[in-house]
Amino acid sequence: MCKVCNRTLLLVIIFLAFSLHSHAQTADLYSYSDLSMFSFAKQKDSLKKAWDCPQLYKDKATQKKYKEIWNARTEFITSAIEANSYINDGKIYNYIEAIIYDLYKANPQLLKQKPLLLIDRSASVNAYALGGNVIAVNLGLITFAQSREELVLAIAHELSHNILNHPEKSMKETAEWLTSDEYKNSLKAVLDSKYQRLTRLKKVMESYTFSRSRHSRYHETDADSLAIILLKNSHISFDPEFFLRLDSSDNEYREPLKNPTKSYFASYHVPIDDAWFNQRSKGLSSHTYNFNSSTVIVDSLKTHPDCVERYEKTKAEINITGKLTPIPAEIKVRANKMLIWNIYDNLSLTECLYRIFLEKDKGNIDPWYDFMSYNVLSGLYYSNKQLNRFNAVGIKSKEFISKNYYELQNLLEQMPATTLEALIKAGSNATFWSNLPPDAKGMKALFASLNFDTDNATKAEAAAATNFMNSNPSSMYCEFAEHFKK
Amino acid sequence: MKKQLLTLLLSVSIFVVTAQTKVFKEVSEDIATQTRGIIQDNSLVGYVIFTRLEKASEDSFNYRITLMDENLNDIGTVNFTEIGLDLEAVAFDQDVLCLAYLKSSTDGKVFKSKKQARKTDVDDDVLTQFLTLNGKIAKTNSLPVNLNSMLTQKAQSWVHTGYEYSGNLSHQVQLQNVSGKGFACFYGDADGCNLIAYDFKGNQLWKKSVDDKQDFALLASKSDIYLLEKEKQKYIEGGCSLTGYNFEDGKSYPKIAIQDKDGRSLTIMNFGNDPVTGNPFVCGKIIDTKNGNKLGLVRNYTHAPYDGVYTIDVNGHNKKDLKETFVHWNDGSQKPGISKLGYLSDTKSFNVLTSAFRDYNGNTYFVGSQLIKKVKIGSIISSVITAPTIIGPIMILAAGTSKCKLLDANVVKLSPKGTLSLDNTIACDDSRFWRSNTDFATVNGGRKFYSLDDPESKTSFVVADDSKNIMIYNVDQKKIIRTIPHKAEGVQTTIGPAKDGHFMVIEYNKKEKYTRLSIESLK
Repeated sequence: MCKVCNRTLLLVIIFLAFSLHSHAQTADLYSYSDLSMFSFAKQKDSLKKAWDCPQLYKDKATQKKYKEIWNARTEFITSAIEANSYINDGKIYNYIEAIIYDLYKANPQLLKQKPLLLIDRSASVNAYALGGNVIAVNLGLITFAQSREELVLAIAHELSHNILNHPEKSMKETAEWLTSDEYKNSLKAVLDSKYQRLTRLKKVMESYTFSRSRHSRYHETDADSLAIILLKNSHISFDPEFFLRLDSSDNEYREPLKNPTKSYFASYHVPIDDAWFNQRSKGLSSHTYNFNSSTVIVDSLKTHPDCVERYEKTKAEINITGKLTPIPAEIKVRANKMLIWNIYDNLSLTECLYRIFLEKDKGNIDPWYDFMSYNVLSGLYYSNKQLNRFNAVGIKSKEFISKNYYELQNLLEQMPATTLEALIKAGSNATFWSNLPPDAKGMKALFASLNFDTDNATKAEAAAATNFMNSNPSSMYCEFAEHFKK
Repeated sequence: MKKQLLTLLLSVSIFVVTAQTKVFKEVSEDIATQTRGIIQDNSLVGYVIFTRLEKASEDSFNYRITLMDENLNDIGTVNFTEIGLDLEAVAFDQDVLCLAYLKSSTDGKVFKSKKQARKTDVDDDVLTQFLTLNGKIAKTNSLPVNLNSMLTQKAQSWVHTGYEYSGNLSHQVQLQNVSGKGFACFYGDADGCNLIAYDFKGNQLWKKSVDDKQDFALLASKSDIYLLEKEKQKYIEGGCSLTGYNFEDGKSYPKIAIQDKDGRSLTIMNFGNDPVTGNPFVCGKIIDTKNGNKLGLVRNYTHAPYDGVYTIDVNGHNKKDLKETFVHWNDGSQKPGISKLGYLSDTKSFNVLTSAFRDYNGNTYFVGSQLIKKVKIGSIISSVITAPTIIGPIMILAAGTSKCKLLDANVVKLSPKGTLSLDNTIACDDSRFWRSNTDFATVNGGRKFYSLDDPESKTSFVVADDSKNIMIYNVDQKKIIRTIPHKAEGVQTTIGPAKDGHFMVIEYNKKEKYTRLSIESLK
């Protein structure tokens, strides 16, 4: 075979491989029925039945308060299931469940039953124990973790809370406090006082919160210690550096982009005015201000407070044997996409687009991200039409974001509707659509109706949404269409 | 016995729950909040939330100031303790926020008897506070005022009555930033009116007494401040004059009488800064010497209460620096466009102008509703038919022989060269026909017009707030760019001012009882 033919064949193979790869990535994220409303319907009913408040107190008031708190927990989790806060996509679920299974198998004395796992769609870098042998792991944690061992540590920590009955203890402490003579007398003292009632009431609440946070701090230390034991029993490395990384987990939008913000719109070939990237109003946001604690996140307000202290307490226990296990790329990609989609569906358009740009910075050429960029611009146009652009952009204070994020939110806020329309039109004709599955293509038609149908808009929106759902009943994007169907 | 025990237990457990609710309710009842937009050089730059948190002692309260930027993001808070305060005005410049309060030692106090009340020292002040963007209160000034407070009864329970002092300033505090110079403050009390200048550290530069008048408006322009005064005179809407003061030393410039060349009184529809030059301007209508006070009833607007429109630009401190433009229609000079009675031939209607503003090209726009009047033929025929009964026609004619109706809005342009023309109309909801002797406010039904600006694109907009919809009209493009329904699917929508080039959308969902705010672009 000649050299030219060889090269052509090679190119064809590479092209085919790439298009198959990208199609596979976009076609198989999850289906509508994987959302918790459908996939955890049985577990929700079982939880409601199983979580019957135990009779712990002779004092009726305390028992009543305990039951209120207990039921509030059940209500929290069942409502979250109904609101599709969780997802059971199979691949990520199985990956995390395998981690839990490893811990469960290696610690039969401590983990008597395999816990119920929930994958929370939140972007917050977190996992949480709900008591009753239920644990939730956020997608944000999965995308943040740099190794399987980091994930295992976070999960083991939450399992430890359940093993040590921390959620149950916390509910009991709250019930006991709220019905204690001390609390009642403090409230009475507030009512009896003529002056500084709010200050007194705040003190009552703070003393309770302080006591709770002190307990909670003990709880965290206890959970860390037990987690290290769970890891040791499972022969899994423990790297305390993870606690230090967690300390900066709230700074996700401070990460700068690799290229100028404007360059991410170059492929649209639509003129974008440089002025739109700058805040042009004379508002206070453009001034330098320095009120106490307004420009930094106070440690107690962080998702993970006391990280440095936790590192110091556990660093002697460091136990790294061999290389840390990378989280499979597929899991990372899926978790990131699911997270981006959830941010989008929650109408946080700047956050969504910024995460897409961060992904592009990694050299990712998956057309799904171009599709999502198109969705962001179309969603912004729709929000503008609905007088809801301000909320869709979600302007953040400049102290908590990078310069690029600041420019992006300015652009999304200030770009004229005519330019947005031109970007959407350019995006509609882009080549990436050919690599997308039919349901993604269906989103283009749905948006065309949402944005450009002028007659009887509400009815047309509902009809377009129904049509999308009927044509793509298993598509993950049905969740979006559902907003307009209603 | 068992039943009694159960009742007792129930009441105890209810007490535990209600004790908490009661304390939260009572504590929250003491909390009061005032919200103000922070204005700098006519632009909204942020928001201040002033909260009275609690009574701190017999005489004082704990307060909190929360500052928010123009995007409603919190910037910071400042706590302080003072005697009773009511936030009156706010201004901002050079990273200093100037807040003016009415401070009263008797605020919130109820006395058991008049005797006890009279024994108490009444100490009322206008308090100016200067807050930096570091969260520090740089300076506070107290200016004693006489509120002419009276003792009034206040029922405290079924059998007990208390007494409290009630009084107010004769003219509310007005604050203006003087760009790069300081702040100007105006207020009036029972002893007179005062104009005060402060630097950015809160030091008083000067204070001037001003003769009391019916009304005042304060404006800053470059290094001067201007006080528009309105005194009671023959014409309800007339009697205005303008006095300028040098901000540095308080020296006043010659007073400008707001009247036309023949001495006719003028109404004030707008007193502001020209968006291009920053110089002060006033504009409004020329009051007809005969019908100028015949206002109120809708039919009066068809009898030419105004003879024309005008603008006065204050481009300096001397008479020669005034640029005055008067356009009269009662002399027939505006025909065929406008009749002597102010009837517009193009729209076949009278022109009830209610709003005016200046654009970035020096044009002054006057906006108002078209008004038509028709004869009630039915009434006339009925009165003729019932003439033999004598009482019949009297009864019928007493209700009037004509009816009026409001139609679309007119946008009337007065060019810098003094040419008056109908620029365009804005489609509004027609009112129904009302009897001509109906009050104009009833016929108008809350319809109002005001302007918004986008300094970036140098574009002006008219907001036509009608009964069903709010329309935003681009003056340059001569078209409605947004139509916002007041009510849609159980949501009540109103709009308000926001940062430059934007407007605030306030949506109240009556069913789900929440308010959603959104700051949307005018583009």
